[in-house]
Amino acid sequence: MQLRRIEGDLWEIPREGGMRVPGRVYSVGPPAPDDPALQQVANVAHLPGILRFSLAMPDIHWGYGFPIGGVAAMDAEHGAVSPGGVGYDINCGVRVVTTALEAEALRPGLHAVAAQLYRDIPTGVGSSQAIPRLSDRELDDVLASGARWAVRRGFAAASDDAERCEEGGWLAGADPSAVSARARARGADQVGTLGSGNHFIEVDRVAEVYDAGAAEAFGLVPGQVALQIHSGSRGLGYQVCDEHLAELARARGRFGPEYDRLPDPQLACAPIASEAGQRYLGAMQAAANFAWANRQVMTGLAVRGLLHALRISERELGARLLYDVCHNVAKHEEHTIDGAPRRVLVHRKGATRCFGPGDPRVPAPYRAVGQPVLIPGDMGRYSYVLAGTAKAMEDTFGSSCHGAGRLLSRGEALRRGRGRSIAKELAGKGIEVMARSHKTLAEEMSDAYKDVAQVVKVMDGAGISRLVARLEPMAVVKG
Amino acid sequence: MRLCLPQPFEDLGHVADVGVRVRGATAGEALARLVLAFASLAAGGGEVHAEREERLSVEGGPGLAGTAVALLRELLYRLAIEGILPAACEVHSVGEAGAEVSVAFGRRDPARHAEGLDLKAVTRHAARLEPEGAGWVGQVLFDV
Repeated sequence: MQLRRIEGDLWEIPREGGMRVPGRVYSVGPPAPDDPALQQVANVAHLPGILRFSLAMPDIHWGYGFPIGGVAAMDAEHGAVSPGGVGYDINCGVRVVTTALEAEALRPGLHAVAAQLYRDIPTGVGSSQAIPRLSDRELDDVLASGARWAVRRGFAAASDDAERCEEGGWLAGADPSAVSARARARGADQVGTLGSGNHFIEVDRVAEVYDAGAAEAFGLVPGQVALQIHSGSRGLGYQVCDEHLAELARARGRFGPEYDRLPDPQLACAPIASEAGQRYLGAMQAAANFAWANRQVMTGLAVRGLLHALRISERELGARLLYDVCHNVAKHEEHTIDGAPRRVLVHRKGATRCFGPGDPRVPAPYRAVGQPVLIPGDMGRYSYVLAGTAKAMEDTFGSSCHGAGRLLSRGEALRRGRGRSIAKELAGKGIEVMARSHKTLAEEMSDAYKDVAQVVKVMDGAGISRLVARLEPMAVVKG
Repeated sequence: MRLCLPQPFEDLGHVADVGVRVRGATAGEALARLVLAFASLAAGGGEVHAEREERLSVEGGPGLAGTAVALLRELLYRLAIEGILPAACEVHSVGEAGAEVSVAFGRRDPARHAEGLDLKAVTRHAARLEPEGAGWVGQVLFDV
């Protein structure tokens, strides 16, 4: 793999063979030329209708078809939509809820809070029934309305939670009728559940503020307690992606030679304008809405859990949703390309939208400073809040990194975790952890992840998003 | 040939998820071992007590690898909805058009299988079911 340094931490994979555009990779240190994720960046550059660059953020790692950390914008009329460019966990995302609590004042009640969250929010393999199983009609409403469905049912930190989500917590193009019976069966009893793997709920403290103006706009104060919730569309989203990938893999030749000659079957895609493309987009957007409803219900359950565990009033808790961002999604957006506005379909797979100051798509309270960009790290170190920039709009279709990125395979993490108690190690750092499985803790330990501080430093240094605050975990709930 | 748990498989060491590689004398044997590798991962290496036998047919393709993925997708769906795992597998036929297999299923037990992975999807990325050397190799990556 040939790589050329553009500037700082930005590298280019020159166009060759069937690549329609070059690849551009933001990297923590020089990229390793034999990293298979780089080949995936080059593969994505083969997709019909891709514009400017196949991009990768500094948390890039090996995915399926697309790399994790990949961003690709397609011409909305003549381009392709790829389920692999969104990923299985459609609208996997993260939100931060701020509170009026002081971290030191919370410390004596921390165990009670963690235990309450662990009791009230189902976690782990096949977790279900946080709320009663939804009827088909209710599920249609979830798939059409997203976070607004949950807010209407009282699952909220405040009544304007949905407005404080990317896209207002719903995608209007959702088509519930495009979601199969199998996907519905997997999702009907999973609204309000965390799941497993890298999903988590954290009780954090705001450890440091880097940009006082933006922090004030975001409602972040040093020493304050905040919650983070990281989850997605559960089994429903997986089934949607799986079914459409299977269909498109079988139909590769149907859309012409440029769709038949893609270098990886997991890149299977369809013209956006085709019936298959539209059906996927309708189902994918419905699954994205399901994910927003899922995180919103968990927000309501978490707020109630804190009130109950601490025996305080809503006013004393002062919970407010800061923001909610998608990590896995494809969305129609308008971007300026070659000096002219153009409608594109931006695939972000393990990447975060980071629109800059003044953009009307950023909620009014944050518009002057840029969109909040929420970047979770690992359970033993820290997470970051950043703000979107004008440069991101110019260089990355308004996109930034989404997390730390794994360093070790799960098997290797388990080998290194053998003989260690990760829960005790975390307790030694003042972090309370609750998890269904010791194995999950070993797989998800800090050593298994890159240092997210290095990842966000690359984004900050490149001017793609700027540092606002660092959050450090006090309690962690894992699947 | 009917194969029962446990069967040998290699961990591919995928950074984000989990990949397995199996070998067999025939395509059917390699496919049966892929089925049982899936069960081993989901059961966390715990025993699966067979309770019932079912004959399953799946449409396959593209290629034999596509057929392997199709069969595993069906089994993953059954695990997600019914909470059942393969304890044994016999492949009656396998081709690009599809596969027909008999599977002995047992329940996933939250206690016995507590260390099992939450396998969420079967990917096509780097999927293989093809001759290699004197035998056959099967390979699949699972999203977890």
